[in-house]
Amino acid sequence: MVGKRVKCTGCSLLCDDIIIKSDGLYIDEVFGACLKGKERFDQITGKNRILSPFIRKNGNLVKVPLEDALNKTIEIIKSSSKPLLYGFSTVSCQAQLKGIELAKIINGFIDSNSTICQGKVLNTSKQTGMTLTTISEIINKTDLLIFWGANVAESIPRLLNKALFSRGKFRMTGREIKTVIIIDPIKTASFGAMGVRDIALQIEPGKDIDLIRVLKEKCCSPNSTPSKGVAGIDSDDLRRLLIQLTNTENGVIFIGQGIVNSTSNPKVIQELLELVQILNAKQQKGRMSVIMLGGHYNMAGFDQVALSLVGKNHNILFSNNQLVETSDTIISKIDNEDFDCSVIVGTDPISHLPWKLSKKLMSKPLILIDNKKSATFKVADIIIPSAITGIECEGLAYRLDHVPIELDKIVNPPNNVISDEKILSMLIKGLKTI
Amino acid sequence: MELYKFLPKTNCKKCGKTTCMAFSLDLLQGKVKVDDCTPLLEPKYKTKYEKLKELLGSEEGKEKELKIDVDNDLCDGCGICVTVCPVNARYCPPSLSGKAPDYPPESHQLFQVKNGKCELLNLKYCRRLEGEGQARECRVCESYCPRDAVKIDYM
Repeated sequence: MVGKRVKCTGCSLLCDDIIIKSDGLYIDEVFGACLKGKERFDQITGKNRILSPFIRKNGNLVKVPLEDALNKTIEIIKSSSKPLLYGFSTVSCQAQLKGIELAKIINGFIDSNSTICQGKVLNTSKQTGMTLTTISEIINKTDLLIFWGANVAESIPRLLNKALFSRGKFRMTGREIKTVIIIDPIKTASFGAMGVRDIALQIEPGKDIDLIRVLKEKCCSPNSTPSKGVAGIDSDDLRRLLIQLTNTENGVIFIGQGIVNSTSNPKVIQELLELVQILNAKQQKGRMSVIMLGGHYNMAGFDQVALSLVGKNHNILFSNNQLVETSDTIISKIDNEDFDCSVIVGTDPISHLPWKLSKKLMSKPLILIDNKKSATFKVADIIIPSAITGIECEGLAYRLDHVPIELDKIVNPPNNVISDEKILSMLIKGLKTI
Repeated sequence: MELYKFLPKTNCKKCGKTTCMAFSLDLLQGKVKVDDCTPLLEPKYKTKYEKLKELLGSEEGKEKELKIDVDNDLCDGCGICVTVCPVNARYCPPSLSGKAPDYPPESHQLFQVKNGKCELLNLKYCRRLEGEGQARECRVCESYCPRDAVKIDYM
């Protein structure tokens, strides 16, 4: 059996160097993938796999043919006036395209997981601007890596391997030439990969904005040295951080969940992006860039698809088949119970959202399109199984650095299981004909 | 390093090794004995000689084997050991997002990640056995593992 090079959809890094041995039905061995990736490949035969459509009758889930589940879904959507569509982070861009099309014809509200994740950075960048970079450029050129509120060793296991340890074109020695700075309130597993030249900063929780403001101020006035520490970081460490920031040739800041979902000040992302701009204005040789660390493998894809299709990546509301402005978010929609049915695609909001919102979400008819059993599966009214993109069907996905990666089909999906794109197309077709 | 501290550090080459560091490494692996270092038998090094004898104890002269232990419970297959290993580095072809080991693995390759866990393939090409001089003290796989799953030891 020969090895085949495939892409992994375990996390947003979308590793393209995975080798599998497969007989066309099952995957026997996986080489190069981390535990997260291995889990994804194991899902095809996992016991959590949804293999048949279900409809809830008298409180119990009953197996039904696909046609019945689709017809019932069409019936529910048809009778609703304010449908809610959510998820779309673990499906292909083609399915996301169909999702937006579906929202348009049913006059629904559509949003992705990115709205409570890295989409916040993307939205802020619309005012401030943002310098992006790619993984290849990090490997080949970068000499400074800053992980801000991100525990990459555990969330995206192979990122350190690629960004830090790989030997690049202009960074031949790999690890030796690169400096790492980790800014985090707790000592995470990522601290274990640090060397003697690296800087570990244990910042006080919620005080990131103070540090950013001091850095902005010091970067603006040349030759000024910090006299006292800030946010639990002493003046020596602050000086070292400042020297690294201003003297680096090509730097990158990895923005993690720790800073994106920081509750201390909503302006923290804006200030961070402004700091990057100040550093770039002073930069002579290279530049400082940012990378948004998301979890779901195609979260960046929804932002790209929605921006190109409707010019807006979040809180997309359609009325009379036209895009309308709204100040509502997915959270406010659920909180105000401003919906009468929900279509969840490839995600698990019941476990992600607070109980208060989950309770409101499950009080209305809930249609789930997913490939694995989750908390949402337990409460859904209609469940339509889908094929796993990147393993059982092909598609396009955007990596965390917003680079499109083509995913391949490796094995055939189980009987009567079709891709998310086909399910959404059938729903659109059904809704148009009635 | 602990053993090196008690050697004369003159690099006299009387033991047949090029440096005292190389002698200390062989001493640790049990390839040589303390008495092989003739200057150490001189009266001025008496305390150091006794200290070395005490440190090594009954283990002296027993040849030890290099062992690289990968803890499968801790390992999450990030593959940092595969990338940093200097022996592996020669056999990693570049891919779209970095270098990665090829399949089937080269016969010289030390580590590979299989089914989400790191696997030790071939220890005999490890720098600690094959290398010369400073290279013999290579410990990159152990020091850069973020999970502390790789341990180098002599048994």
